[in-house]
Amino acid sequence: MTKLVLKNVTCRFGAVTAVDDFSLAMEQGEFVSLLGPSGCGKTTTLRMLAGLLHPTAGTIEMDGEVISSPTSSLPPEKRNMSMIFQSYAIWPNMTVAQNVAFGLEVRRLPRPEIRAKVDQILEVVQMAYLRDRYPAELSGGQQQRVALARAIVVQPAVLLLDEPLSNLDANLREEMRYEIRRLHDEFHITTVYVTHDQAEAMVTSDRIAVMHQGRIEQVDGPRVLYARPRTRFVAGFIGRTNFLDGEVRGGEVVFDRFAIKVDRFAEPAALRGRVSFSLRPQSIHLHRHPPSASDSTCIIPGEIVQRAYLGEHWDYAVRPKESALALRVTARPHEVFEMNEHVWLELDPRQMAHIR
Amino acid sequence: MRWRHLDKSLFVWVLLIGVLLVLVVNPLARLLWASFEHGATGAFTLENYAAAYGRWRYLEALWNSLVLGLAVAVLGTVFGVPMAWAVSRTDMPAKGLVWAAILGTFIVPSYLGAVAWILLAGPNAGWLNRLYVWLTGAASGPLNIYSMAGLVLVIACYSFPYAFVFTRSALDLISSEMEDAASTLGAGTLRTMLRVTLPLTLPAILGAFIVEFLEAIALFGAPALIALPARFQVMTTMLWQFFEFPPKVQVAAAYSMPLLGITVLLFWLQRRIIARKGYVALTGKGGERRLIRLGGWRWVMLGYCLFVTSLSFFLPMLVVLQAAFAKAWGRGFGLDNITLENLRFVLIDQPITRAATLHTFVYGGTAAAIALGLGLSIAYIVHRRLVPLGGALAYIAMAPFVIPGIVLAIGFYAAYTTPPLVLYGGAWILILAFTTRFLPIAYANSDAAIRSLNPELEDAVRILGGGRLLAMRRVVGPLLKRGLAGAFILVFIPATRELSSAIFLYTTGTQVLSVLLFDKSDEGNFEILSSIGLILVVITVALVLAGFRLAGRDFMLKRTAS
Amino acid sequence: MPIARVLLPVAVTVLLAFGAHAHAFEGEPALYEAAKKEKALTWYTAHYNSETAAAVCNGFQKKYPGVKCNYIRTTAQVAYQRLSQDQKAGIAQASVISSTDVGHYGRMKQDGWLQPYRPKNLSELIDAFKSFNDPDGLYVATAAGLVLITYNTSVVSPADAPKNWTDLLDPKWKGRVSIGHPGFSGYVGTWVVQMRKSYGWDFFKKLELNKPRIGRSINDTVTMLNAKESWVAAGPSATTLESKDKGNPVAVVYPTDGAILMVSPTGILKNAPAPNAAKLFVEYLLSKDCNEIMVKMRQDSVNKHVKPLPGAKSLAEVKTIRPTYDEVEKGIPEVKELFRDTFGI
Repeated sequence: MTKLVLKNVTCRFGAVTAVDDFSLAMEQGEFVSLLGPSGCGKTTTLRMLAGLLHPTAGTIEMDGEVISSPTSSLPPEKRNMSMIFQSYAIWPNMTVAQNVAFGLEVRRLPRPEIRAKVDQILEVVQMAYLRDRYPAELSGGQQQRVALARAIVVQPAVLLLDEPLSNLDANLREEMRYEIRRLHDEFHITTVYVTHDQAEAMVTSDRIAVMHQGRIEQVDGPRVLYARPRTRFVAGFIGRTNFLDGEVRGGEVVFDRFAIKVDRFAEPAALRGRVSFSLRPQSIHLHRHPPSASDSTCIIPGEIVQRAYLGEHWDYAVRPKESALALRVTARPHEVFEMNEHVWLELDPRQMAHIR
Repeated sequence: MRWRHLDKSLFVWVLLIGVLLVLVVNPLARLLWASFEHGATGAFTLENYAAAYGRWRYLEALWNSLVLGLAVAVLGTVFGVPMAWAVSRTDMPAKGLVWAAILGTFIVPSYLGAVAWILLAGPNAGWLNRLYVWLTGAASGPLNIYSMAGLVLVIACYSFPYAFVFTRSALDLISSEMEDAASTLGAGTLRTMLRVTLPLTLPAILGAFIVEFLEAIALFGAPALIALPARFQVMTTMLWQFFEFPPKVQVAAAYSMPLLGITVLLFWLQRRIIARKGYVALTGKGGERRLIRLGGWRWVMLGYCLFVTSLSFFLPMLVVLQAAFAKAWGRGFGLDNITLENLRFVLIDQPITRAATLHTFVYGGTAAAIALGLGLSIAYIVHRRLVPLGGALAYIAMAPFVIPGIVLAIGFYAAYTTPPLVLYGGAWILILAFTTRFLPIAYANSDAAIRSLNPELEDAVRILGGGRLLAMRRVVGPLLKRGLAGAFILVFIPATRELSSAIFLYTTGTQVLSVLLFDKSDEGNFEILSSIGLILVVITVALVLAGFRLAGRDFMLKRTAS
Repeated sequence: MPIARVLLPVAVTVLLAFGAHAHAFEGEPALYEAAKKEKALTWYTAHYNSETAAAVCNGFQKKYPGVKCNYIRTTAQVAYQRLSQDQKAGIAQASVISSTDVGHYGRMKQDGWLQPYRPKNLSELIDAFKSFNDPDGLYVATAAGLVLITYNTSVVSPADAPKNWTDLLDPKWKGRVSIGHPGFSGYVGTWVVQMRKSYGWDFFKKLELNKPRIGRSINDTVTMLNAKESWVAAGPSATTLESKDKGNPVAVVYPTDGAILMVSPTGILKNAPAPNAAKLFVEYLLSKDCNEIMVKMRQDSVNKHVKPLPGAKSLAEVKTIRPTYDEVEKGIPEVKELFRDTFGI
């Protein structure tokens, strides 16, 4: 069942277009991330979903009814959504319990029921022992949990999160992104998560919408997004990659000093003229001796021009013979090669994503 | 437009904007209209302007006002800037005392200071003159308070705090690194101060200069007490004369236009100066501030500071106390000259004093409450962009700052003594005039308070189901309590001492202490005058102390203008 | 004077003894009852100074317990201005008006602000003053005083003191003479009109050469003398003598060319919030009790049975002059402008 639909949503501030022709449909219970660098329009989109901003063009629908349009918008208080802000926005003049109870009080639930629900949710986020503290006495992570509890306890139709982990340290961030996904799974709330951190998005989301300069570049699940980026930006933004530009000539894609037959690629029919590919460093394997040729792989001779040992893996830059390219290769810790050593690159053209 | 989609708090905001327009725009509009209106027939005419500028006397008054303003601004700067430098940047001792004395200066209304200075420097009987005669055996003393110079001194004494506060705030932001750079290149303390520190604070000093000028030309009480016996007029006393029976409101309106024009122009200039980029070095946190060691000179600086505050606070309060408790102030300090009769007369025999005291509190408090409520709401509307053209609202809320009190009162008189809305004769015309006069202070403070608030706190309320009004009640209000308490007191204090706008709008039933003091001054009974003045000072001190309790010790230091 | 200090209490006691037998006027109890039911009486007055006004009000309240009296003492022009603003705005504030500018009463009568009342105590009024009453009963004389020459005895000997008005023009008083302002004070206004009548406006042009200290009320001159800011003045007899009683070094001179006699009326307003109290008050102003209080404060009595204190001459003994009613009514507005042009303020 489609829960939220954004149709050609545009948001302009004077001469600046923050969000440009954004279209997306979300299912009930889905966890979608809006991923992109700062200034790409993701927070603006989120605030439009919340009703804190109005679109200049396009509509937002929830459960089939228009809730945002250029001419009229349902105010935030009527949307039955919850939001977690980057600053958490925990009210400093109220205790943890009062903060969490607020939404329930607005909905005029009876007191005993409010108390029960507050206790329950505080248990879930493991903050029950701090229920009477004031926000000034809490750490960042604890405030984060209060914000979560406050947002979830009202059982919203949609949960919106605006870079909730950016103010936490690395360890806490890792812990909290699992926590957020867990809570999502437990309560099945449709969730929209805004972040610039691709690892967060990959860990938590069912689908990721990658945004760049106000527009959607690609919307896909994490694995597809990683393996099959469709644009240069997406390929570069999610993980590291090698960009290979070539030209289709005589049944072959000709790169710098090496060529690969067109029919070796995943979608040969789409290849014509000038083409670009994204090849992940993990998809290239290095050999000291030429490996046996096969239908699925290409072997290219090359030379190590740079190397760095990072403990968990090796980072090599390899130059194919007589080429100007420097391909990045990730190798396992025991695969040691020397500088300028002559090596053989083994790669699978089907793992090369055709990008536009 | 679908009703579900309408934010109902919109009605509240529209209502408040309407109130703002009525309070500020209506009197000004009526004033402008009245200046072109023929008194009897109501037809359009330019004869008011002809009458207002036709007589040489009237033009002379305008000239006197400009001279007064300029001289006061210069003297006030000479007083205030060195003191600010000494307190902020050097190791001068007894800074607490100096600051307390400046606070005391703020507490004394300028018209009471004028009364005190008459007692001090009246040409024949003034204490200082008598002291001089006694010391030197001369025939008479050199000081004559009844002169332009005397008036300049008195007004400068009560406006130098502007120069002090503005300059000090700016100096507090300059890190010592600036001065270190100069001294490592060989510059001494004085040269560093003149060539490095002072230029950086120039925008603040200029800003204060302009504010002092504007204040001086708009004052009524001190000029009425000193200039009239000195036989010269200024614009404000001239306007008062236009109100003698029968009141020539139209001519008064025409006459007050230049005052308004000058004020608007200079205020615009001041904002331009403060906003210039050269000020960039002074925004932000500043760096480490070390105090400059003055050596023996610190005693000189302390002497200067105490000299200035003696002129403004210590000496005047001394004579006021003496006169309030004297049988005949001219007889001097002596045990045979002490009596409580004056206070008894003022508090008991004269029922009007009690009524006036009550009115002073009630009108001042009500005006402060309304101004604060309105200022907060308008600041909220502007910052949350609830209506288009919000910036214009901010200007309207600050506009009364550029209107001299007496001109505002004439505007109110013009607007509310004739139908459809007749407020004259009641308390409300005074309360509303005070509210309008001090709205800019309330607005500026509310503006700063709302700026300090993270808008996401209100967004969080709204997304959870509460409307804007609930957000104001449960979150914004409680969080801003302290700042708003300070703002309340900052409006309450000047409202209780306000003279220039009250003088036209009061009637016998709505007297306040400031007007009572002024009314009584025509009998020359300085003992009674000092008693009333003492009561006024006591009330102000009580309010300031309350302000300290409610809002912290620095609630008055925050600059409320620009 | 030491003898006066001894005789004073004796004289007062004797007078009070007489006063205790002051008979009530016809209809007093009924008027008193009606007055008690009303709100407080508000009295706009320019007669006397604040202390005397306070004493009169207190005396009234003491004599008629249950009736409250509030006074607003200002100069005549200010009182008239306040009243005009009230009337124009339709506010009924004051019940009784006592201005010292007789011209005001003509205008008030014309504008219909006053209500007629012929006090029963009219018989008590000094006969010479009866001509100052309104034939239609809209106002009646209740206060009298003199404008004469005053000086500070510690710097001016009786021999050197000015003897008549033109002596004030003597250059030896340059910077040392003090007067009020006709734009504020009815007393000063009347005095200026009289001086113009006697000596022409040249009098003031010459006075300006002496750089007089100009206050507002005629009572300001007393303050100036007390403080030795001025040495001589054109001042009021009452306040000056009262100041002398307090121990200040001031004295009066009855000018050989005549002291200005000020007879100031009182009127009851048509829209008086407390009309019966107002009527009772006017009766009181003419009564012996009130005039005894006034005399103690060195005011002149208007009641024929009350004598002044020793040390002051009664009005009958002094040479007085005064302008006519019409001269005052027309003259004061004229001299206000002339004064402003000559003296600059």
